[in-house]
Amino acid sequence: MRIVQACVKLGLDFVCVHTAADAHSGHVRLAREQGGPGSLYRISSYQDANELLAVADDAGATALHPGYGFFAEDFRFARRVTERTRALTWIGPSWRVIRDLGDKINTKRLARGLGVPTVPGSDRPLYDEPEAEEIAANLFSFQREQDVARPVVLLKASAGGGGMGIEEIHDIDSFRMTYRRIRNYAKRQFGDEGVLVEQRIFDFNHLEVQILCDRHGGEPLHFGTRNCSVQSTGRQKRIEVAPGFVPAELRYSFDAAAVLEAVKDHSLAIAREAGYDSVGTWEWIVTPRGEPFLMEVNTRIQVENGVSAVISRIGGKGGVDLIAEQIRCALGERPGYTQKDITFEGVGIEYRLIAEDPDNKFTPWAGRIDSFSWESAPWLSVHTQVPTDEPYQIPTDFDPNLALAIIWGKDLAEAKARGLEFLDKLVLGGTDSTGVELKSNVEFLRHKTENLLVF
Amino acid sequence: MDIEKRIQSLAARLKYIQDIFAEREDANIELLHSKLKDFTDNGGAMSAQEAARQVEALEDLYAFLEKKLERELTPMDKVRIVRHPQRICLKDILENVYDNYTEIGGEGEYNIDPSVLIARAYITRRVGGKVYNQPIMVIGQEKGHGEEFRNGGSVKPWGNAKAQHYMQVAETENIPIHTYVFTPGAYPLEDYPGAAQQIARNLYEMAGLKVPVIAVFSEGGSGGAEAIGLADVRLMLSHGYYSVISPEGAAAIEGRLRGGQRASAELIETCARRLKITADDNRTMGYVDRVIQEPPLGARPEHYDFFKVLRSEVIRATDEVVLNVRGWKFFRAMTLSAQRNKRNASAEDIYVRWTLSAGARDRLVWRRYQRFRRMSRHAYIDNSPLTKKVERLAREAGWSVYSFFKYDFFRKHKKKFTHMLEEIGSEFQVVRDKAAVPLRWARRALAPGRAAVCSEEAGKSLTELSCWDKGSCDTPGVYVSPQAREDRVLTCTNAETHGCKDLWAPDLFGDFAGVCPTCGHHFRMEYQWYLHNVFDYGSIFEFSRSVESGNPLDYDGLSAKLEKAKAETGLKSACVTFEARIKHVNVICATLVGTFRGGSVGAAEGEKFVRAAERARKKHYPFIAYVHGTAGIRIQEGVNGVIQMPRCTMAVRRYIEAGGLYIVVYDTNSYAGPVASFLGCSPYQFAIRSANIGFAGPGVIKETTGLDIPPNYHVAHQALSRGHIHGIWDRRDVRANLNQALQTMGGRNLYYR
Repeated sequence: MRIVQACVKLGLDFVCVHTAADAHSGHVRLAREQGGPGSLYRISSYQDANELLAVADDAGATALHPGYGFFAEDFRFARRVTERTRALTWIGPSWRVIRDLGDKINTKRLARGLGVPTVPGSDRPLYDEPEAEEIAANLFSFQREQDVARPVVLLKASAGGGGMGIEEIHDIDSFRMTYRRIRNYAKRQFGDEGVLVEQRIFDFNHLEVQILCDRHGGEPLHFGTRNCSVQSTGRQKRIEVAPGFVPAELRYSFDAAAVLEAVKDHSLAIAREAGYDSVGTWEWIVTPRGEPFLMEVNTRIQVENGVSAVISRIGGKGGVDLIAEQIRCALGERPGYTQKDITFEGVGIEYRLIAEDPDNKFTPWAGRIDSFSWESAPWLSVHTQVPTDEPYQIPTDFDPNLALAIIWGKDLAEAKARGLEFLDKLVLGGTDSTGVELKSNVEFLRHKTENLLVF
Repeated sequence: MDIEKRIQSLAARLKYIQDIFAEREDANIELLHSKLKDFTDNGGAMSAQEAARQVEALEDLYAFLEKKLERELTPMDKVRIVRHPQRICLKDILENVYDNYTEIGGEGEYNIDPSVLIARAYITRRVGGKVYNQPIMVIGQEKGHGEEFRNGGSVKPWGNAKAQHYMQVAETENIPIHTYVFTPGAYPLEDYPGAAQQIARNLYEMAGLKVPVIAVFSEGGSGGAEAIGLADVRLMLSHGYYSVISPEGAAAIEGRLRGGQRASAELIETCARRLKITADDNRTMGYVDRVIQEPPLGARPEHYDFFKVLRSEVIRATDEVVLNVRGWKFFRAMTLSAQRNKRNASAEDIYVRWTLSAGARDRLVWRRYQRFRRMSRHAYIDNSPLTKKVERLAREAGWSVYSFFKYDFFRKHKKKFTHMLEEIGSEFQVVRDKAAVPLRWARRALAPGRAAVCSEEAGKSLTELSCWDKGSCDTPGVYVSPQAREDRVLTCTNAETHGCKDLWAPDLFGDFAGVCPTCGHHFRMEYQWYLHNVFDYGSIFEFSRSVESGNPLDYDGLSAKLEKAKAETGLKSACVTFEARIKHVNVICATLVGTFRGGSVGAAEGEKFVRAAERARKKHYPFIAYVHGTAGIRIQEGVNGVIQMPRCTMAVRRYIEAGGLYIVVYDTNSYAGPVASFLGCSPYQFAIRSANIGFAGPGVIKETTGLDIPPNYHVAHQALSRGHIHGIWDRRDVRANLNQALQTMGGRNLYYR
């Protein structure tokens, strides 16, 4: 939806795909309004590369925006798009960058090569048991030295992902048993015996840096930091706040301003080194002691880009649209401004309104939404695919995301107050097929707003 | 009545002649037919004397015409002769050639495989008033005289297993083996043990048998014949044939016939001629040692004189073999060789004891290897100049000397020395540890600050870039398959059942190594991929490049086909032999390339394989046979091809017995001869998931046995469950698995052990 808006804003022609289940979504309506029925293609699945490329060929498209998910971080798809006989422009980083930064181990090694702090532990898969044991033992003594009360070391299958093949150990004596279990599991499951050994960090804050680079090797630009520490139990983000910390209003046990600066500088250094050429997000964790560690790089535009845009001013003007910037740069334009022109003003809060039950492990709720409205304000923008004038059935194929609300205030206090105001005036109602009332995370958001950015 | 009997026998002879010459009934046969008819019509009216005279005249005429017809026999006529039910069979031979015998294991139909006959037989010699009884193990295919249960001499795998067993028995008992080959080919079953598997075992067994083996060929069809045909002396009956494939089979391949179609008689006839299958042809090419002359139009059970000849030939052959390897032989050997050219000389006049001493046994095996090594030298092209050939021989000799000193001479002593050093070292370690206890205690007491420094170091190692030394320096080269350059989308064959996504060719053939990431289906990959992705970068060094496939039989059309294949693949034969490294371990690898004439094995391929095995033996390197696909023996080379089965098997056995490690890796389709011999005999055989392994393809099985085979009969998993192969590898893991195999398997005498 926001991509369509960006295209309209840039005066570009577009076509848009949707599945049968998504036929009533907002982006379909918007595309129909802006581009007419010819700009819509119904496909059977968002995951079928052949179908997407067939649509692109049929429409005579010259460039392809992969959206936020599925294909955006798939370097194979990016490569296919740019290297097929009828090549398209890929709106995103070049596939080599996606491949290199998509690999966490590679990213970690790249970072360490540049002296960027990363989570203490091994930076390559370990195949040698005595070596792994030595690293684990070092990690325990290292943490003890830093007065960590209960040192914990993580053993991960290097080929794994999504939480599979990860175990923690609390002392070196249980290392050998766990190591062997993980190694055998990894060998069976992923066909690779490599194991990573890392420190486990508790109570951290999750920071992000928004980066923009052009295709001509120009100096990478950043659009400030975000704090995404309010998450569901499944580590899904629920509230994002920009900037990452507000040392002006809150007291931190460490030098928060310096941490933000360090994080930005390190991110830019890596972008420079990797030859980054699009929009991306550098994810960091900050320990309670104020140490930042690079976690990973998201080589795509993220849903929460709006909250960084809302506090950014280019040449003093607001209304920054990062998706439009991304498309412009991907098509070969230069940004036309430098880091000096980018300034930041105020605090942005982004709420993710989701039909789910926070008290019950964030279980998704599926049903029909009968009423949905909010009071518009100049400091508020809401992005939603849910229509406000007619009932809407939530498709069960995807997460029940309802809306993104981005709120701006001149400082944290004002932003928080406006956020609560928005939540108070929000009307949201519906029932599912068994008559159960709509469940949403509004209360959860309200509760979390109280302590935003407190660390 | 005497005359009637004689007339009956004449009628039988006429019937036989008519059978043999089938369609081509020419004037001679007409004449015989009418004469006999005249006589039988008028026979009643004649006096007895007159009748006797006329019958005699008739018999003379028959004998004359039979001789005349004999001169005009075509190869196909000979094939019909050996297949005729009246042809002598093994039972006839046992009764008439040997003095006493007992069949082992079964009576007639009640036998594990009635088409194999095994007997303990005796030959009795009377020399100088003494009687000598000499036991022999007789092994052969039994066709019988047309009995259905004999299966036409087509041996099932378990029949060959039985033969193998009794070869071992003969070895234990130290008695010679006489084998009689009467088979159109092996029965192509894959059920345990598979035909290919068992024939390979037989060949491997015979390659190292330490007793004299004499083979007599009457009907020698391909693999079935090889299963018992690897011998010190190979005799052949003059009307027999010995070939890589039956003429009908060759015609079916030549005419590209599909199931159900029949080849025309002319085509079969030409194929039989082209394949050079007769005894004289094989004698000329050197694949049999002597031809035993049969009576005109082939031996039948009533030709008692022939059995005498056969007896004296087999006895002489056994004597020769024994005397050649024995210490005590002087005069007898001379007499024997002098006798060879004399008529009516009986080999039984001189007594030769057939048991061998230990030294003689080793010489026997060595001589057998040398004999086969020398065979089929004429059948491939080696265009390298004389200087190169001399250089190669010199280098081989150099390697022999070097490896003798390095491995056989020095290593023994070095081992002793290192063992001693290790002992001393570990004793010293214990003493030093004891002595160091107070020292360590003192150091800890004096320098508490050192610990902090250490931990700082450890902290650095946790947060700074580590050296990825392992694995980064020995990565294999990068090879981009030409298939990965096309912009197309492939659908996995298992998409229906496994829900695989469609694959883009550059992804599939570039990053995924031609393997579907969802279900593991292996797409076809060319052999170059393995050369570059399995072996260390730039480590491949090809040798015996000059050996080239030729056309030894001047088979029509083969030369053109070979030219085409050579131009298309840039290779000179279907076998590529090279030295390479896998994670720093030197190996020798022989690759059978499926794109060169179907990966079929002829004289050049066999020669290269043998040279590779010998090189591996001399250098003490592991030896890997990678089969990118083989359709079998190259039939257009006839016996020149089929002889590679025993040749290569012997080379492999010699290599393995020298303490080598011989690993076979099958990819894609691997069938027939090579699998049934030098590949199938390896104790370490592995298949890549895409492999099909077997003796005969599904079409051939249907054609020859009439059985409907189950689906996926030949896939790697079936081969694994039959015990033919010993593991199935994923293509992406070949390098790692080979490395693992090199480290853990076999080979007590490898250079890196």
